[in-house]
Amino acid sequence: MTKVIAITGKGGTGKTAVAALLIRYLSKKGKFILAVDADADANLPETLGCENVKTVGDAKEYLQDEITKPKPDNPDMNKESVLKSKVYEIIEEMPGYDLLVMGRPEGSGCYCYVNNLLRGIMDKLIVNYDVVVIDTEAGLEHFSRKIIRDIDDLLVVTDASRRGFRTAERIRELVTELDSKVGNIHIIANKVTDANREELVKLAEDLKLDLIGMIPLDPKIMEMDIKGIPLFEIPDDSIAAMEVEKIVKKLGF
Amino acid sequence: MTEFPFEISPMFEGERVRKEGMFVELGGPKSIGLELVRSKPMDEIEDDKVTIVGPDIKEMEEGKTYPWAMIFNIGGELVEPDLESVVERRVHDFINYCQGIMHLNQRYDVWMRISKDTAGKLDSLEPFGKAVMMLFKTELPFIEKMQVTFYTDEEEVKKQMDEAMEIFRARDARTKDLHDEDVDVFYGCTLCQSFAPTSVCVVSPDRIALCGAINWFDGRAAAKVDPEGPQFEIAKGELLDAKTGEYSGVNEIAKKLSGGEFDKIKLHSFFDSPHTSCGCFEVVGFYIPEVDGIGWVNREFQGMAPNGIGFSTMAGQTGGGKQIIGFLGIGVNYFYSPKFIQADGGWNRVVWLPSMLKEKITEAIPADLVDKIATEKDTPDIASLKAFLQEKNHPVVASWAAAEEEEEEEEEVAEEVAVPAAPMMMPTAGFQIPAMPMMAGGKSGSGIKVTFKNAKITIDRMIISEKKE
Repeated sequence: MTKVIAITGKGGTGKTAVAALLIRYLSKKGKFILAVDADADANLPETLGCENVKTVGDAKEYLQDEITKPKPDNPDMNKESVLKSKVYEIIEEMPGYDLLVMGRPEGSGCYCYVNNLLRGIMDKLIVNYDVVVIDTEAGLEHFSRKIIRDIDDLLVVTDASRRGFRTAERIRELVTELDSKVGNIHIIANKVTDANREELVKLAEDLKLDLIGMIPLDPKIMEMDIKGIPLFEIPDDSIAAMEVEKIVKKLGF
Repeated sequence: MTEFPFEISPMFEGERVRKEGMFVELGGPKSIGLELVRSKPMDEIEDDKVTIVGPDIKEMEEGKTYPWAMIFNIGGELVEPDLESVVERRVHDFINYCQGIMHLNQRYDVWMRISKDTAGKLDSLEPFGKAVMMLFKTELPFIEKMQVTFYTDEEEVKKQMDEAMEIFRARDARTKDLHDEDVDVFYGCTLCQSFAPTSVCVVSPDRIALCGAINWFDGRAAAKVDPEGPQFEIAKGELLDAKTGEYSGVNEIAKKLSGGEFDKIKLHSFFDSPHTSCGCFEVVGFYIPEVDGIGWVNREFQGMAPNGIGFSTMAGQTGGGKQIIGFLGIGVNYFYSPKFIQADGGWNRVVWLPSMLKEKITEAIPADLVDKIATEKDTPDIASLKAFLQEKNHPVVASWAAAEEEEEEEEEVAEEVAVPAAPMMMPTAGFQIPAMPMMAGGKSGSGIKVTFKNAKITIDRMIISEKKE
């Protein structure tokens, strides 16, 4: 069975970095992964070290344009197989994992039909992988559209602030309104220091949030960021990578 | 059943053969790939035969991309050229049932990959060809005989491609020439019922879905693969009125899917029992009583129609899956239908289009009417529209003289009704009043005046216009 893990959180909390570290560790463990960038503002591909990636948004737009032409060239086009082909074409094949970028938002027309086709394609695509890791915006739009139907584990990344935890609480509320099934919700506190560690644990307890891990503020990550080195190349003994390893183990890997 | 060297199951349908695990790639973005199904007389087919023209698996080099064409010939008592495209659509499904073989796209864009695992079990493409033909004959028993030729030689593939392009062109021409009267079934779609619960979308060869995305062929393909899915067959039933496009089968489904809200849908009617409007429509039509004509606004048009309302407001009033008399949502392609609102005069009733839409669909407009239909550049409001139509002698002008006498009487009983005020006495059956956007009452300019004409017991017309100071 494929396990679907979604990572979300407010912008600036470092959720994309956490996603990259998670993918890196799972891939090292020999899991075959589909990494999905479902946040138009995020930069998972760059963090992983890929550039100029085409997106599902482009594929959708291509099909939408093709089928809503006033006079289509081929009214009998097999739209499902054409869309599937476009999606399979944009999947970036990296060593040990595949990358799929959702990309730009929809145009003004009606995408019910195209999204319905896409749902079917995603359902069948996901089965190819051991794990699907999705970096998604806090609004969880792709889940409300059910492009990806079910999430086994939702990880909410927060920075070490009270406001960050409040956001996590709001996301938890949002999830209960979603039609998608979400198995477990966990919190990851990021950029943690010795000064705020204890307080954060207490805050999570007060808000009844499951704090699955606390990733320390890692000077190595800042250094790599400045030098423009993809996070995927972080050494195993960096303090952040070690904490992510613990989190992944808690998730049952 | 014959044994094949690889497993065959629908569960392999979405299987992705990655670059790392791939033996060879056939066709696809880096090369050319073709698939074609042709109907042939029974005696011209050697059943179950696989022919390979060009390098076979054992002659192929690992990691390379080869040009690719596969031509299937089918025969049988019930096989006819019209079935070719139906059968061809299933090539995608059946090839993907084969483990380790990935098939994508269609027609002249085919893209396949064969995995190292599967290639290791094959010396030749022959068992693969036989497996696919076995699936065809099992799932589509009307195919009595079948043979296939695979081409991997570049020159040969190109030759096949040239011939196939001609066949596709001819097939498309036939497809475009298919009309409501040529088929026994239409298709329904319930994708929009999630937000427009009483919406009944009926897709026929002469009427594309409102969203513009689903045509009759899509309905047919989807209903075959998943009859319980959002697209399903509607038996046409009895033709009750050819002009309005009324069918007993469509009426039955209208009643059922709307939960009894409507009992009739006339496919090519604007005023009487029109198609429901979900909210997804690409274009909305609106009746302009002052000129007894119909205007249309597309989603992309940002300005105001001559009645002073823009697309989004009209869409708000029209959507929700109701039959709204005086408004109608359509897909752009419906302008090209020979039955385009034929119950209500067809193109002769069209008086206004945004210029961008008019330009896009000019070839759909009868040549003698093109210059008689106004755009926002000619007429920003009703008064100038009236003058424009008169000057161009638009067909609707002829109906004005007849209506004028009647009009004078009507004016006397015309009555203004404040919209959000007292509950309106509406006939319980018949039609729905469009949901009005709430307006801040009393303030200048933005109010709405609703005029009911001839409104003693039933309402013949309803006019929504900008309130003049």
